[in-house]
Parts: sequence; structure tokens; C-alpha cells
Amino acid sequence: MTGIVKAFGGVKAVEHVDFSVRKGEIHALLGQNGAGKSTVLKILCGVHKPDAGEIWINGVKLEEHTPEAARRLGIAMIFQEGSLIPTLTVAENIFLTREPRAAGGFLDDRTALKKAHGLLEKIGVELDPRRRVSNLSAGQRQLTEIAKALSQEASVLIMDEPTATLSTAEIDHLFAFLDRLKSSGMSIIYVSHRMEEIRRIAERVTILRDGRNVMTQSVAETPLDHIVEQIVGRRIGAFERRARANRNLGPEILRVSHLTGKPRPIDVSFTIRAGEIVGIAGLLGSGRSSLARSITGLQPVVEGEIRVREKAVKITSPPEALAAGIAMIPEDRLTQGLVLQHSVANNLSLPVINRLARYSFVRESEERALVQDFIQRLRVKTASPDLPIRSLSGGNQQKVVLAKWLAADPSLLILDEPTAGVDIGSKTEIVEIIRDLADQGKGVIVISSEPAELLAFSDRILIMSEGRIVREVASEEIESWAAGATDTGSRITAMEKGLQVAIQEKEHHAYDL
Amino acid sequence: MPTISEPTTPAASRPAPTFMRRALEDWRQYVIYAGFVLIFIFFSITLGEKGFLDPNNLLNIVRQTAMIAIMAVAMTFVLSCGEIDLSVGAVAGLASVITALAISAFGLIGGIVAGLLTGIVVGLVNGMLTTGVGIPSFLVTLAMMEIARGVAMWTSNTAAVPILDRTYNFYFGSGSLGAIPILLIWTLIAAIIGHVALRKTTFGRKVLATGGNENSARFTGIKTHNIKLQVLIISSVAAAIAGMLYAGRLHSGRFQLGEGDELSVIAAAVLGGTSLFGGFGSVVGSIVGALMIGLINNGLILMGLEFSQQLIARGVIIILAVMIARSRR
Repeated sequence: MTGIVKAFGGVKAVEHVDFSVRKGEIHALLGQNGAGKSTVLKILCGVHKPDAGEIWINGVKLEEHTPEAARRLGIAMIFQEGSLIPTLTVAENIFLTREPRAAGGFLDDRTALKKAHGLLEKIGVELDPRRRVSNLSAGQRQLTEIAKALSQEASVLIMDEPTATLSTAEIDHLFAFLDRLKSSGMSIIYVSHRMEEIRRIAERVTILRDGRNVMTQSVAETPLDHIVEQIVGRRIGAFERRARANRNLGPEILRVSHLTGKPRPIDVSFTIRAGEIVGIAGLLGSGRSSLARSITGLQPVVEGEIRVREKAVKITSPPEALAAGIAMIPEDRLTQGLVLQHSVANNLSLPVINRLARYSFVRESEERALVQDFIQRLRVKTASPDLPIRSLSGGNQQKVVLAKWLAADPSLLILDEPTAGVDIGSKTEIVEIIRDLADQGKGVIVISSEPAELLAFSDRILIMSEGRIVREVASEEIESWAAGATDTGSRITAMEKGLQVAIQEKEHHAYDL
Repeated sequence: MPTISEPTTPAASRPAPTFMRRALEDWRQYVIYAGFVLIFIFFSITLGEKGFLDPNNLLNIVRQTAMIAIMAVAMTFVLSCGEIDLSVGAVAGLASVITALAISAFGLIGGIVAGLLTGIVVGLVNGMLTTGVGIPSFLVTLAMMEIARGVAMWTSNTAAVPILDRTYNFYFGSGSLGAIPILLIWTLIAAIIGHVALRKTTFGRKVLATGGNENSARFTGIKTHNIKLQVLIISSVAAAIAGMLYAGRLHSGRFQLGEGDELSVIAAAVLGGTSLFGGFGSVVGSIVGALMIGLINNGLILMGLEFSQQLIARGVIIILAVMIARSRR
């Protein structure tokens, strides 16, 4: 076996990507959100069909693009969301569709248990194969997935952010294990946002940006900041950082002290003042969303205190948060933010329906006026407010979500990934809306995986890692990253690089703890 | 580079799962058996003098619940893979009528074939509409319930269709081998086939996987649509057999037979530990669930309660069953 060559092309999210993985190599695949990593992986393991391009494994061409065909040629993928059946046991999951049979074609559970036990022992995992997957920890599930892949005699293992949900000890264990797999001849394609991990285990790295591959190089010979630069690329215009003209910060709106939830966040303290925009950065699983959920009562608070306008409050549900003046716009707008079948107007007025009604009859003229006002202010592109919301583009849907909560007139807004899945034009508009909100004296917290977005408007950026706030970046420091850069494009690039390095540094320290 | 401190096994810090722990994880599977025994003891004490423990009464309970039990075995598969079949009661009625008509036209074999074909055809239609067209099985089988009942009324002119074939009546419901009623044998056969298929074959494993997480199951290479189609056919065929047994027991096919059975069947399965939301199923539990419903009905009759009061009791049972299923979280 000399090597594996794969080439793709044509798929919207992915244009002419090709890369190869050698036998016994850990190959890292990097790129920002939306760079096309997931699409590439899904094509590889047969979930998506490429429009053009070829995949070769051990010199055999993959003719048929189905999960079964890919598996037959030795590709096993460990999905981010997990591919285990929670209601089955570990052993049942490992051998699903390939169960050992006894005479007469009946399932031989004893052999399955014995084989599962042997397999888990080989991996060095102490795990009872009779346990149900739904009762396992994230790390144990991950290892069960790997055991499943191994039992299929895979020669290529694809892992999509395997460490996102693991503890430090579990990560160490996983890496030691991957090293052993590698030396036994397994090829591993490893996707991660954590640069430090890549340097620890990968030999070579391929970087994707905007659906194209920009480089493939040996990790040892490539300095960290060069990798980051390649991932970020150079982008212009949309996210220009603008020092906000009238940054008169008002009184303190929110003070969070020693907030702890289960399992995250851990001992988080910070304050927000009126008119201030605070960005929260960090990797997937660093506890950013948990923090937002704890503040708005979606997740119980174990310890700590939340003060709104210097008054201690106890918030146990989103309506209570809203009553205290805190609105959260959730990450997943489709399932959490909107009623998709309903009209734009009905969605907009839902949070304030009680205020619009008299004797529980909705006063339509007032509803109209409110809806029209918001459609104009936020430039929602819809032919009529009576159209169902699912007929709108992602960007316009997101504007409706924003408008919906603005109608409730909160004093603090928490936005979780406000521009995820939104086209670049709408992104710019949403960035603009967020600036406007702060100018009107509202406090804004923005959680985002896109550094460019955070850098565009944040007065401060809090970096989270492992559930804690590990660093605070002030406006001056952000500006200092861009010192020396002359044009808009290179300013943005320089700042993004600065933030990425800051995030990665903190991840590094998290390992040393 | 960070230094790796001593490697720890994630599982090492946790205590090894003991028998107790696993029993606690799955305690709901055993609740039904304890409940069954408790109710049995309760009736034995309170109704002992009214003939509850009389062997004939006990065999009667078996006879009365055989059809529900057989349909509940199939329903276990349907619920386990995350679907539902509301048409079983109506299909039983339809199959009883079709079988009775076919016996008078073509004789014994023709009648049995026609009855089974009824189940296969209805199951195919249910399955295709659910998997091919993508209508939720709840709606498909709700509509099928009306259609099957309508066809049964139409073909029989709403009258009972007598069955004069003695062999048929003996083997499909009325007869007994020595002291053992033939219906008990049918129930046992259904229970054994169902239990082995769910626990000991790849088919059963695929059904549970499909209901546990359909997406993951598909990624693993299971043709989940095929599984659902097969499961819905099994359910309709079981319903047809139940209808044929009703017909044999009453020596006639009637469109009213099986009316309302869908609720008893679903209640039996859920009581027995099968999840309404898919992923878990127990054939033995479903049989015991069906027997428990029969036991309660019988006890209530012996106590002198009216039919209306029995209905109320059955409703309460269903609510209890769903409460147990929900507390899984």
C-alpha cells in the first residue's frame, strides 16, 4: 500500500478539493466554519454524493457513493453528533448490522459480548459492553465509536472534532490511543479547531478555505501563526472594525459573579454596562452557550449570583429573564427562535402578544403598525408580512428573530451565533444592527465562533476555555494587533490572527493545568 | 508542548457496573411483572370465593386476551421502531369478514389465504404510504382504520357472515387440545416467534436501532424504510390472524369484531415496557401487559362492575402506562 488519493469537485460548498492521506499517518483537516470541511468528510464517507471528482482507497476507486460502499472499502467516520444508537448497549452498537451469528442464523450475544470485551481491552478501555450507550459519558461514547470503527477493520478513520466534548484526561487517553492506532498502520483524518492538538498528534495538515484547499504541509515545518493565517485568509470590507463614535457607557446593567452551572460554566464573573458590546470567544464546548443559558434560566445555576441593575435576581426560566430585561436569541433559530410555518407578522408579535391584546383579542391595527416598523427598521426583505417565515432567506429569518426580541424592548440582549448560516450581505446588516442597538443604550453580549464578527463591534472580548473565562481582551489590545497594517483587509487579517492566537494560547494552558 | 501527566483511563475512575446498577437502569422492564403478580394476589384474596381462581375462569382470561396479546406482539415491533399502527382493530374486523366470505366461496384453504392476504395488502399500503410518501404512520393508519371498517361493513352488508366449516372453527379459536384452549397455543406461538425475532435476530436489532435513532441507523447502513415497511406488514398480518381467531371463536365474521382493540393493544405493549417513542421493546412484557388488562377486566366483571366502569378502569391503565414510559428521563 503506497497511499490514498481522493479528489472532489463541483459541490457548491466544496470546489476542487484534493488531498491524500498516507498509510499510518494522522492528517489534520483545518478551516473555519463553512470552509467545507464537513462537506468533504460527508462525501468521503458516502453520505453526500460528489458532483465531480474521484475517491481512491488503497488503489481501489470508490464507484458508489453510499455509506455501505465507503465502509466496505475501509472508511469509518466518527461523526461530531455521534452515530451510536442511544437505546442499545455498547456491544450491540459495535456490531450493529454485523452481529455474530450462532447456528440457525440467530444472534450470538455471548460471542458479541466476548468480542466487544476483547476489542475494548485492546483499546485499553475499562467499559462494560453490556451498558446502554445513553448512560455513558461523552468520552466513553467516543471510545465506543472508535471500537465500532475498528471492528469493521477500517483502514481510514475520520474524526470530526473528537475532543470537543472530552475532558483533559480523556483527551490524553484518546491521543495515546490514536498514536498506537497510527503505528499499527491506520490512517486518520483529524478535524479540529484546536491548534495545539494538531501540533501534538498530526504529521501533515491540509487547510480549506471557502471550499478550496489552500495548502498541504508538514505540521513540524509550519509555524503556528502561518497556519492561522492560512485558515483566516484575507477578507475585506464586511467586517471592518469601527471604533464606535459615541461610546458613552451607561450604568451597569448586568453583573455576574462566580456563576457556576453543571458542568459548565465554572466560576464566571463579569459585568456589562449600558451601551456596551461584549464578545465571547472560545472553541466549541468551551462553555459559551452554557453561560448564556445559565444567565437566562435555561440551565440551572449551581452557584453564583446574577445582578441586574445592581439588584440580585433569581432567574429560572426565559420569561423570568425577559421580565428582568434580558432577552436571549438562541443559536439555532430554526428550532428555538421561530415558528416556521407562521407568518412573518405572527412571529414578530409573539413575544408581545399580551401587550397588543385587549381582553385577549389582538388589536390588529397595532400589530400591523409594530410589524411594519420593524420590517423597515431592520430591512427585512419580504414581499408581505403575511408570508410564512420559511419562505425567507436565512439572513432575513435571522433579522426577524432579532426584531422579535427587540419588540419586547429588553435592556440586555444575548446573541448566540447571530450570523451562523447567513449570507455575507445579511451578515453585514446584522453587524450594523448590533452596533445600533448598543448606540441606543442596550447592553449586548455576542457569542460567536467567527472572530471577524466579534472583532467588528466588540468593546471587549472575553475568551472562554473549559468553562472558565480565561482572558479578557480590551479594545486597545485589539487595536494593537492591527498596528502597522495599512489597508482594511490586512487590518482585519491581523486582528483575526491576534484573536485566534489568543484563543489557542489559552487552550494550551488548559492542558498544562 | 504540554506534558502529558500519567495516563488515566476515563472508565477507571467510575465504579464497575454491578448487577444492581444494571437492574436499576432497566427497572421499568420488571415493573410489569411485579404489577401483574400484585394484581393477581389482590384478586385471589378479594374474589377467591367468587370463582376467580377457578381453572375455567383463568383459562377464560387467556381466551379473551389471546387476540389482544397476538396483536400486541406485533405492535411491540411497530412501537420499537418509532411508528404506530392504529388500524389493527379494524383490520381484524375486516379479515374476519373476508375469511368468512371466502370460506363459503372457496372452502377452508381459500378462506385462510384470503384472510392472510387481507393483512398483507393493508400492511403494504400502510407501509408504502408511511415510508414512500412520507405521511406519518399515525395518520396513515388512522385513515386505514376507517377504510378497513368501511370495506368490512360494505362487503358483509353489515350482517354477520356465518362460518360453517368445523375444522376452521376448531383450529381458529373454538377448539382445545385436551384442557388447553387452542387460543393459548396461538398466543404461545406468537410470543415465542416474536420474542426470538426481537431479541435473537438481526431483524429485531435493526428494528430497535431504527427506533433508537433513525439517522444513526441509516449511517450504519440499515435500510430504515424497509424495516418500517416490514414492521407495518407484520402488524397488519397479526391483526388479520387475530380477526380470523375472533371469527373462529364466534363461528362468523363480523365487521364489529376488534372494535377499539387498537387502544388495548397499544396499552398492553406500553405497559410491558415498550417505548412509545421507539428504541425499547419487550415481547414478553407485551404478552404480560395484555394478560394484565384481561385480568383486570375479568376481576372487574366478577366484582360486579358494569361495562362503562370497565372502560374507565382501562383508561386509567393507559394513563398509568404512559406515565411509566415518560419517567424514563
